[in-house]
Amino acid sequence: MAISPIEPAFDPYDELFGVYVSPERLTENLASFRAIWAEIAKLRELDLTDVQPAVIFEPLAVYRRTAKK
Amino acid sequence: MSRPLWSQPIEWLAPRIRAGKVSPVELAESALSRIGSLDTKLHSFIHISANAVAHARAAQKEIADGNWRGPLHGIPIAVKDNYLTQDMPTTVGTVAPGISFPLRDSAATARLREAGAVLIGKTRTHEFAWGNVTPPVRNPWDLTRVPSGSSGGSAAALAAGLCAGALGSDTGGSIRMPASVCNVVGLKPTFGRVSRDGVVPHSWSLDHAGPLARTVTDAALMLNVLAGYDPADPACQAQPVPDYAKALEQPVKNLRIGVCRNHFFERNQADVEAAVELAIDDFASQGASVREFKIPLLEYGLGAIFAIELASSTAYHDASLRAGRTKHFQPDVRTLVEVGRLVTASDYLKAEQYRTVLMEEFSKIFATVDVIIGPTTPITAWKSGEWTVAVGGEQESVLAASWRFTYPYNLTGLPAISIPCGFDSDGLPIGLQLAGRPFDEATVLRAAHAYERRHDWIHRLPSL
Repeated sequence: MAISPIEPAFDPYDELFGVYVSPERLTENLASFRAIWAEIAKLRELDLTDVQPAVIFEPLAVYRRTAKK
Repeated sequence: MSRPLWSQPIEWLAPRIRAGKVSPVELAESALSRIGSLDTKLHSFIHISANAVAHARAAQKEIADGNWRGPLHGIPIAVKDNYLTQDMPTTVGTVAPGISFPLRDSAATARLREAGAVLIGKTRTHEFAWGNVTPPVRNPWDLTRVPSGSSGGSAAALAAGLCAGALGSDTGGSIRMPASVCNVVGLKPTFGRVSRDGVVPHSWSLDHAGPLARTVTDAALMLNVLAGYDPADPACQAQPVPDYAKALEQPVKNLRIGVCRNHFFERNQADVEAAVELAIDDFASQGASVREFKIPLLEYGLGAIFAIELASSTAYHDASLRAGRTKHFQPDVRTLVEVGRLVTASDYLKAEQYRTVLMEEFSKIFATVDVIIGPTTPITAWKSGEWTVAVGGEQESVLAASWRFTYPYNLTGLPAISIPCGFDSDGLPIGLQLAGRPFDEATVLRAAHAYERRHDWIHRLPSL
């Protein structure tokens, strides 16, 4: 689909993340996130292709809770 | 024990209450009186129960009539302000408009009431148990310093003798860190051991509910009441609940102690490291075997817990974020909730994959050891308002340093306790952390108790 030249500029933070944050706050947030991001980037280096996530889907949980009520 | 009544542990109070030698009304009034005189300095409580004395009176009558419910009957207990309570408001430390919580009991407070405990009031927490500070709570050992958090109000109140036990919650160390810097005992049970129904969520797969106590025996007595299956918490497990207090007296001879020499011993304040090494030697002197090992995978833990905690917290606060209510949060909490948007779904799931391999590493270690010990925190209580601390000759952010040794046990869900193990050169408390296999709180408590009774750390009281 062609992008109309009169469409407003795409704001990735607003549109992708669904929250408007002022440019000043976004700058502050990104600065705060830098150290955290460095740690998450390290995590990305791990090859965990064949590992199941620890949090699993458990369809019976809601039935147990309903049974209590 | 020649301690004033307000400083006596539950294990001392309970038999005397049962025998009619100590009055629950006197205890409640003593706690309220100390709150009145000391909490203007400590700021540990956000709400005082209007019903505490009436509940104490009812407990006293019930006991006098021969209906003693157990060791918590008539005992004044403080409740962290992220547990819902039917007769006290819950704020989770926020003043943001448009956010309120129901008046109903959490599973834990309901269990405490059923056991006859007197819920004395609600203690302050970091806002939504997140961020860096528990404003404006101060540490009873030095009023210019923080009690850590997020269960800082509970730890400060307990250390100052404003209650005989307290509830806390622990997502990355929030029971154990304040226990460590306030010279009390803090137990994070296994994930799924204690119901979190009615505890305001912070990060669903990391949050744990548990007690802060004056002694290891007190922690065991509280866990006896708090532990058990509850279908209202989907993570809660139907595992047998032993009598934790009964298990304490077994000897530690032949106990296999593990010491993880990477991560936990790479960067500590000198006094902390010295105190913990002495504690390790003490276990060895009692006949325990000590095995040293390394878990290199811990290098990736901080990224994993950040990814999970940030993403989960932001998901929980999504409605507030969209409605603009987060601008009324504390600045650090607002920033953390906003930057949680920057964690991708694949980062989150990778962190959950990482937990699986980390748990596998710990399970291999626990095939050859019974308990892993080390420092609870690399630092002692820091000055209020400080954002960096000196650790191992370098300046480090409080946020990074304080929870370095506690969050691995949130990622793995393993039971872990912090007990007092000494004081630094400024007279500030140091904590020793012991962790165990899933649902083996009994061994963790037994080892902790064996150390505790050979030392007098718990008998030292802050001068206020």
